Amino acid sequence: MQEIKFDDHCEQFPVAMAYVPWQRFDKMYEDLEKAYCIGTIFPELNKPFTGRRCVS
Amino acid sequence: MWSYEKRLQFPVNIKEPNAKLAQVIISQFGGPDGELAASMRYLSQRYSMPYKEVAGLLTDIGTEELAHLEMIGAIVHQLTRNLSMEEIEKSGFDKYYVDHTVGVWPQAAGGIPFNACEFQVKGDIITDLVEDMAADGTTA
Amino acid sequence: MNNKEQMLRDIGILDFTLIELALYLDTHPYDTNAMEYYNHYNRIKTQLEREFSRIYYPLKLSLAESNQEWRWGAAPLPWEGVCG
Repeated sequence: MQEIKFDDHCEQFPVAMAYVPWQRFDKMYEDLEKAYCIGTIFPELNKPFTGRRCVS
Repeated sequence: MWSYEKRLQFPVNIKEPNAKLAQVIISQFGGPDGELAASMRYLSQRYSMPYKEVAGLLTDIGTEELAHLEMIGAIVHQLTRNLSMEEIEKSGFDKYYVDHTVGVWPQAAGGIPFNACEFQVKGDIITDLVEDMAADGTTA
Repeated sequence: MNNKEQMLRDIGILDFTLIELALYLDTHPYDTNAMEYYNHYNRIKTQLEREFSRIYYPLKLSLAESNQEWRWGAAPLPWEGVCG
């Protein structure tokens, strides 16, 4: 699958469409038990639901 | 083709039953955005997914949702274990109990039975993925 | 936590890590770095599962080879929990 650098080509994307930035493998939690309890091994995907909006 | 593992994806060990809580949590079992709907949504959408990688991903996510379903089932089961008749009446669990006793039946918290109308399969990649995000984006 | 519980916990942690890596690799099939992690943890998990199945009970059907008693049915029901 072709990798698209979203940020570099923002202006080339047509309007009125939705985009999801491409995930890159950067690092995993070193403590895998902690990751197991959080629900993801990827720190960038740890977004707890607060009832109103996600924590970024 | 599937195979089963005899363990929960994450352990569930509930000490005190709580039938009131069980009646809310059961929505995550058989409600519109519950795990059963999630699993069936992904596993049904994959046939018309034009990209092989994404069809594979939908299969793996749909499979993981079944593991989630089992954990939620365990939570509901353990919350309704060893209830007295008094607790059943007092907690309002009696309306469920009359039809299902302490069996775990896929329904929403409001009593609506699990139903394929709770998810959508349109055969269009964007439509289907947007539906996935709406249903599963925050509660996975 | 006794040895059995600790082993189950470790298998759970490893399997969760592997599922996460697999979901990532599904859409990033040429990421060799992620693949190295997957291979590493998968080897540990496979060995731990075999060991657990040998000492306690088989976690999957492929590990359920039996002699006197059918071991697959001897395992506790996962949804009952340890307090059950």
